[in-house]
Amino acid sequence: MLILSRKSGESIVIAGNIRVKVVRVEGETVKIGIEAPSSVPVHRQEVYDEIQRSNQQAATPPSTPLPKLTPPKK
Amino acid sequence: MKWDNSTETEAAPASAGNQIRLPAGILGFEHIKEYVLLANPAEMPFAWLRPAESAPLAFVVINPFYAMPDYAPDVPDADVEFLGLKEPADALLFSIVTLQGSNRASLNLKGPIVVNRHTHIGKQVIIANASNYSVEHPLPVAAATV
Repeated sequence: MLILSRKSGESIVIAGNIRVKVVRVEGETVKIGIEAPSSVPVHRQEVYDEIQRSNQQAATPPSTPLPKLTPPKK
Repeated sequence: MKWDNSTETEAAPASAGNQIRLPAGILGFEHIKEYVLLANPAEMPFAWLRPAESAPLAFVVINPFYAMPDYAPDVPDADVEFLGLKEPADALLFSIVTLQGSNRASLNLKGPIVVNRHTHIGKQVIIANASNYSVEHPLPVAAATV
């Protein structure tokens, strides 16, 4: 992993079109600003972890009986 | 690209098996890329996403608009491009259901599976507005009566 030291207000540039800026440092929290083309998805790591965990819980034996949906239909 | 419940996302011709290729797999199951979508009329509106090669697991999926009529996933441009979608009507949209016993279930609204209905290529996408939705959105269910 490449590790760079940056001060508040300083940035790094990735691939010429993605800019990551340290906006502010407050105690344990670092506020990061990201400028990237809309084609580049940016998400918190936690979202990936959350979806992965959800998928693992959802995987079920193919013979599992399914419940009935009881939606209040609009 | 934004979806809403006017988008035709009905689960495919029932009964006939539908091959679906997920080149990136499902998060946590990246090694499985070939799936079959099976819709049994008795189990509607649920359907099954099963690995094409026999495996001890499968996923239950549902059209998320059944559970949340005002669901408005924003599918990132990179995914729209990857899937070759020109408009929402080109896509089938599914949410993965987690069964918790016979009368509790939830669905994942942050990471729907979007499939190009023409190419049968799909991807589990993380929607751009994921923070508006839950991975455990409760689904109103009751145990099936036999």
